[in-house]
Amino acid sequence: MSLMYRIQHPRDALVWEGEIPLFSRYTMGIAGERFFREIMENGRLMGTRCPECDLIYVPPRLYCEQCFAHLDEWVEVPSTGQVHTYTIVHADLDGNPLEEPRILAFIHIDGTDGGLVHYLGEVDPDQVCIGMCVEAVFKDKAERKGGILDIAYFRPVG
Amino acid sequence: MGRNRVAIVGAGMTKFVRRAQETAKELAWKAASKALESCELTLDDIDAVVVDTAPDAFDGIHMNAEYLSDGAGGWGKPVIRGYVGGGTGVFAAIQGWYHVASGLFDTVLVVCEEKMSSCQPHPQGAFLTIFDHTTERPLKPNLLWIFALEMNAYMSRYGLSKKDIALVAVKNKRNAADHPAALLGDPDITVEDILNTEVLAWPVQRGDVSPISDGAVALVMCAEHVARRVTDKPVWVEGVGWSLDTAYWTNRDLSYPTYVEEAARMAYKMAGITEPRKQIHIAEPYDPFDYKELHHLEGLLLFDKGKAPEATALGITQRDGDLPVCPSGGLLGVGNPIAAAGLMKVAEIFWQLRGEAGARQVPGQPKRGVAQAWGDLMQVGTVIVLGI
Repeated sequence: MSLMYRIQHPRDALVWEGEIPLFSRYTMGIAGERFFREIMENGRLMGTRCPECDLIYVPPRLYCEQCFAHLDEWVEVPSTGQVHTYTIVHADLDGNPLEEPRILAFIHIDGTDGGLVHYLGEVDPDQVCIGMCVEAVFKDKAERKGGILDIAYFRPVG
Repeated sequence: MGRNRVAIVGAGMTKFVRRAQETAKELAWKAASKALESCELTLDDIDAVVVDTAPDAFDGIHMNAEYLSDGAGGWGKPVIRGYVGGGTGVFAAIQGWYHVASGLFDTVLVVCEEKMSSCQPHPQGAFLTIFDHTTERPLKPNLLWIFALEMNAYMSRYGLSKKDIALVAVKNKRNAADHPAALLGDPDITVEDILNTEVLAWPVQRGDVSPISDGAVALVMCAEHVARRVTDKPVWVEGVGWSLDTAYWTNRDLSYPTYVEEAARMAYKMAGITEPRKQIHIAEPYDPFDYKELHHLEGLLLFDKGKAPEATALGITQRDGDLPVCPSGGLLGVGNPIAAAGLMKVAEIFWQLRGEAGARQVPGQPKRGVAQAWGDLMQVGTVIVLGI
């Protein structure tokens, strides 16, 4: 005698199928609003600096998570960085194979204590390496909508 | 059982608003930093952090409390999240209490946040799966069904009118007019105004319901030796209690919240309270709906069953009455960012007992108060008794 009643096929037992009909509308927040507006309007990356802890947050934050200070010192940061780590994505969310593999990387932004996760472009997967120097490629201004996808991807420098 | 004495020494909150531009993290940081400033402590003084939010689906962030933990001061510290639905706000203070009462930590930051405006098209959609998936959900219920059935059962059992119940909404929205953080305060609102709002699910009308809100609240709780150093006005946690009824709402007594009575008895026993009507001077029962304040006052043993409406009509629960109830303005007036709203009630008792409630201050220097919340599958009661 087994401990569980098993069914071999989904329709072997009576079921009722339901869903949770929700979607979300996320504000970018006080710091996020300015960060993404700077990208959209001026094509540049900004961070916030905690003078107490000597940290530059990218993405910028309204407060320092280490000392809880209110951060209001905004600094322009480079749009360049180094690949801290990366992966090559071969399947989509449903597990279907991608026509072209996509390279996803965590990029440490130069001169800061943070970075961004983003796609890499203009590079073959077998040429990517940890430590590679990359730069942000912003979309044309007319195409920017205020969001992380206003950066098309990062590409190798030099 | 050896337990250390626990005090609340600081509290802070954001405004409760319909749509905050701040992220969940930023709301939590504002409340948490205000609470720290109120008792002149810094993050370095905090040993552990309790971060509670209600359903993740409201903020639309799975593991929401963990996500916003850095805004709650959790960086590099022991952090725990609790969740008992609408009962979460008061439960967060209970969690903060046992972190300190156990002797494990001396000073704990307790933060509750909710950002319901993220949730589209309406936050009640997040609640659909609290109904049984095969016996109830095919009927396409919405959340108000439970409250409408419960309110009707309560009205019918005791022969109450809609007006008897609307008096609660009027009292709380008027009280909230004195709360600087309130969303729906209105000093001039009348019973007619409430009775003229649209019917949502009879007998529940728009005016009977608290508003969808965004906001955050935080407390600083600590052991006696820390409290004595930090403040000369500690507010002590004298008792805590919580209890769950059956998960089948069809098997509960919908006209009486037994789970609140059980939670209250647990808290009163710990606090040495034998006559709550004499020993409790101020109450903040959970009032997401006007009838629920009445329900909960009875469950808290502060009035006989079916008698809270009469006491309300007599003015006993007004801010200057014999038992001020929801002097903050409650969820009906201040707003209902779920977990934060419950913790707001604990904060209100803290401010009232310290005589720091400003225009909301009840007369007579109250010495002991009770805060209570309600939630989970509408079957949990969470209770905390504070005293000076």
